[in-house]
Amino acid sequence: MLRYALTTLRANVTRFVATALAVIIGVGFLAAGLMLTDAMRVALSGNVQRQYAGVDVVVEPAASLAEFGASVPADVLSEVAATPGVTAAAGELSATAAILDRTGASSTPRAKGRAWIPEAQLNPLTIEAGRAPTADGEVVVDRGTAADNDLHVGSTVRLGTPAGPSSATVVGISGFGRTDSVDPGGTLSFAPATSLRLLSPGSPAWNAILVAAKDPATTMTALRHTLPQSLEITSGHDFRASQQDADAGFIDLLRPVLQGFAYLALFVCGFVIFNTFSVVVTQRFRELALIRAVGGTPGQVRRSLVLEGAVVGFVSSAVGVAFGAALAVALQAVLGAFDIKLPGSGVALSTGTVVLCLVVGTVVTVLSVIVPAVRAGRTKPVEAMRDAAVDRSGASIARAVIGGACLVAAIVLLLADRFGTASGWFLGPGSLLLFVGLVVGGPLVARLFASLLRIPARRSGVTARLAVDNAGRNPKRTATTANALVIGLFLVTLVTVSGDALKTWTVERINALSSSDFIVTGDRSGVAPDLVAQMRTTKGVADIGPVSQAGVLTTSGEVALVSGADIDELRRTTGLEVRSGSLEDVAAGRGAAVTDLGGASTSGGGGAGPGSDRSIAATPGRLGESIELVSPDGSPVGVDVLATLEPKLDTLLLGTLLDRERFTAVAGEHPVTSVFVRVEPGQAEAVGRRLDRLVATHAGTQVQPGNFIGEIVSQIFDFLIGAVNALLGMSVVIALVGIVNTITLSIFERRRELGMLRALGMTRRQVAWMVRTEAVLIGLLGTIIGVGAGLLLGWVMIGSLPGHIPLNVNWTRLALIALVGVLAGVIASIAPARRATRIEMVEAMATT
Amino acid sequence: MTDATLQWAAQVLGATKVYGTGEAEVRALDGVTVGFERGRFTAIMGPSGSGKSTLMQCTAGLDRLTAGQVLIGDVDITRLSEKQLTLLRRQKIGFVFQQFNLLPTLSAAENIAFPLALAGRKPERDWMEHVVATVGLADRLRHKPSELSGGQQQRVAVARALVERPEIVVADEPTGNLDSRASAEILTFMADAVSQFGQTVVMVTHDPVSAAYADRILFLADGRIVDELLQPTRESILARMGRLGL
Repeated sequence: MLRYALTTLRANVTRFVATALAVIIGVGFLAAGLMLTDAMRVALSGNVQRQYAGVDVVVEPAASLAEFGASVPADVLSEVAATPGVTAAAGELSATAAILDRTGASSTPRAKGRAWIPEAQLNPLTIEAGRAPTADGEVVVDRGTAADNDLHVGSTVRLGTPAGPSSATVVGISGFGRTDSVDPGGTLSFAPATSLRLLSPGSPAWNAILVAAKDPATTMTALRHTLPQSLEITSGHDFRASQQDADAGFIDLLRPVLQGFAYLALFVCGFVIFNTFSVVVTQRFRELALIRAVGGTPGQVRRSLVLEGAVVGFVSSAVGVAFGAALAVALQAVLGAFDIKLPGSGVALSTGTVVLCLVVGTVVTVLSVIVPAVRAGRTKPVEAMRDAAVDRSGASIARAVIGGACLVAAIVLLLADRFGTASGWFLGPGSLLLFVGLVVGGPLVARLFASLLRIPARRSGVTARLAVDNAGRNPKRTATTANALVIGLFLVTLVTVSGDALKTWTVERINALSSSDFIVTGDRSGVAPDLVAQMRTTKGVADIGPVSQAGVLTTSGEVALVSGADIDELRRTTGLEVRSGSLEDVAAGRGAAVTDLGGASTSGGGGAGPGSDRSIAATPGRLGESIELVSPDGSPVGVDVLATLEPKLDTLLLGTLLDRERFTAVAGEHPVTSVFVRVEPGQAEAVGRRLDRLVATHAGTQVQPGNFIGEIVSQIFDFLIGAVNALLGMSVVIALVGIVNTITLSIFERRRELGMLRALGMTRRQVAWMVRTEAVLIGLLGTIIGVGAGLLLGWVMIGSLPGHIPLNVNWTRLALIALVGVLAGVIASIAPARRATRIEMVEAMATT
Repeated sequence: MTDATLQWAAQVLGATKVYGTGEAEVRALDGVTVGFERGRFTAIMGPSGSGKSTLMQCTAGLDRLTAGQVLIGDVDITRLSEKQLTLLRRQKIGFVFQQFNLLPTLSAAENIAFPLALAGRKPERDWMEHVVATVGLADRLRHKPSELSGGQQQRVAVARALVERPEIVVADEPTGNLDSRASAEILTFMADAVSQFGQTVVMVTHDPVSAAYADRILFLADGRIVDELLQPTRESILARMGRLGL
């Protein structure tokens, strides 16, 4: 039987093209995801290892405080260097910086400025040409940036930095091992003192202090004694591990997401494979019966088909792995063309990936083949003598009852969920039943669809009539083909509809809360003081409210977000509205103002970010409560809540609000991190332009409209909806392959009939039109069911969420999705239609 | 119209059909010239591989000749484009196949009217009724092919071939899948169509009983017409076949 399976396979290779293609796409997608993420992880961890290779001990802000841009005051470096056991210490500092072209625009949009580390054992960079920067006005650029911008030792460049524009002479070119730079967008290195001035304006501070020590353990103890509580002392090993987590952590999120979509695509493949083998079994009916007649057991027939499936699956999976590798490389190239450099180059081809892909692809194929194989096993020997295969219509009563019951139960459950009180409970079972109902009852739906269309088709001529008849002729096959499309379109619709609804609702809520006209924010080094001064005098600006923010440790070891500002300025620029207490007391420095969220304390919720073991402290929510903070000198300070504020976007950003003087006393010196701007009436647009121009030379500083959170949230939603839909697109592509497959196989089956039609005078154009219509009808069926089910489930899901979110369906977008579905049918029909027109008329005379 | 085209429904002039090249070259037709007179029932006989099917297919415009001409009425179909040829088949040629070749999703009536429907036309009612009555299908018109016996299906096919009043009806072993009684029925209908409507019919067969319904028999061997028999009977056919060694 093995021989039989293999020879049949070889003789009918073309019949499996679609199956193979579907598996190749699915497995390729899976493989590409795995390889890319592997390569990225290897590259990122490798980079971290190299970057901090010589580091034994690290002094950094308490991990949770780092989230708030807290940093290590510049003068701590000399203290650390003087600690016994320290052989070398250097400040690490990086912030956005750019080389400006003649027009003042950045020509290195993703570059970082860094403090040059003079201590060789701590410095991952090497000087390739020239020398290290030692004074103001000197910069070292990395190899890549130098090549891209045609810079040499001796060139003069204009720079954009957080402190504003500046110019410098290139004194050296740096490298990072075999790669150009530590930072993917390029590195500009400055002498340490220069970097403090340029990259950390306002309050000079390091991101961290890197230490080399003879005996790291004792050095750590010594440092712990000398340095304040707000600084954390970490071993080089732990630091590298946490950096790797931070850098590569997103990969752990990305990987399962990509895999999930790949498995979905493979699930859709299952439908295509199932269809192919069902058709193959029907076509080989007589041959199979003959095998049975000459003494083949049902088991042998079954096994031979499963074996065929396994071979097809395995070979296609192997090709899929190669396709995946090519896909990964192509993706890197495409992103590279858009100047997005993924970490790591090439693909990481691990044994695990290859084995997983081969196993998954083969298993999916074999599973999909089992039902047709069992059916083949049931072939009766006597059928070898019969004339032709019977067109089994798949309309058994059991199918009708089960399918119908599932569909009815699903709709009842979903409606109960929508209008009932037990919101959410019936959603899962309801959707599952809906799916089962569509799969089981699919042929009936397909038949119903065909008979509904027969009425309009009758009017538009015999060709349309035949196309509709053909679509309804083998309802089982039509339904399976359409279902492959249903899965993709259903999910696309669901994601789009519910995503849109959530987005609109959320953005509206957020925008209702905002009150200032612009918010200017700096990156972790803050907004430069001169910039703040310039903003104050900018034409059209009515008032500004600069705010410094910091994370401050509480006595219970948590972190509280504390803001310091001139309370009166803030009142004029933002929508501070007092709900209870008095802001005057806060302005006088006697206590804090917090947002009133209905008396409940705002929970920080969870950890303060990856690698942090501290949680964010709850902000007290009531008058008279107090919060116990740890001041920079280590002594505890109690701050009383003297006023509560109406919840507005601005106030929510502020956390615990203090007068500036009190803030400095409690949290230490911090740069201005954001500036609220109120403009004169009707000046919003002009001021926006002026502010944009103003910050252009201050790398890292951004001007955002007061409703920026709304915009960001809206962008995030759009991005997520788009990304998920793009990934789901893979399953739509496979469904398309499925339609091509079904139509091609049907044509193959109906050769004689098509030959007859041509003989009787059907023109090639009419034949092509008929085939195309059939494909479009299948696409249409899948689209109607998929979009309909997605809409239904989206409506139920959004309705069962608390908060009465309106389902504002974006009909244009929905129409676009439907168009994609129908187009899938059109595209899928191109090749088969051409094939159908080439059928020889003498086929009509063929006797088989 | 010339006298010749009045007399001949179809003419084949110097028809040559070659399949394959070099060693594998097969001359299915080797310079055949023959005319099919209007209102006559011609049978083509010959052993397998004699070229009888090829002659029929080329005459009906299903396949193209390597050399020579085919005239349907006064139209030289070897000069027609694919599209023109298709339209000509639709209007001027009727087909009856061994495998019946009905469309399974259409009713008997719809199958009969199919060639007209392809052109977007409706059958003339009287003619349709006449044809249907002739083949005895009046009470089966709403049935699907799967609900009809083989003989009934072939009667539908004959009606379909006649409904356009084509120049010529081409039948390829029309009784090959039928029992003797159904065969006799079908052949009688075709002979009736010739005698009553003046229809021209050309039939390929290897069965002397079937061929005996024809007015004239052409014998083919090795791509040439080797003999002709007028007003044949079963006995005269068998005798002639024996003489030719077929």
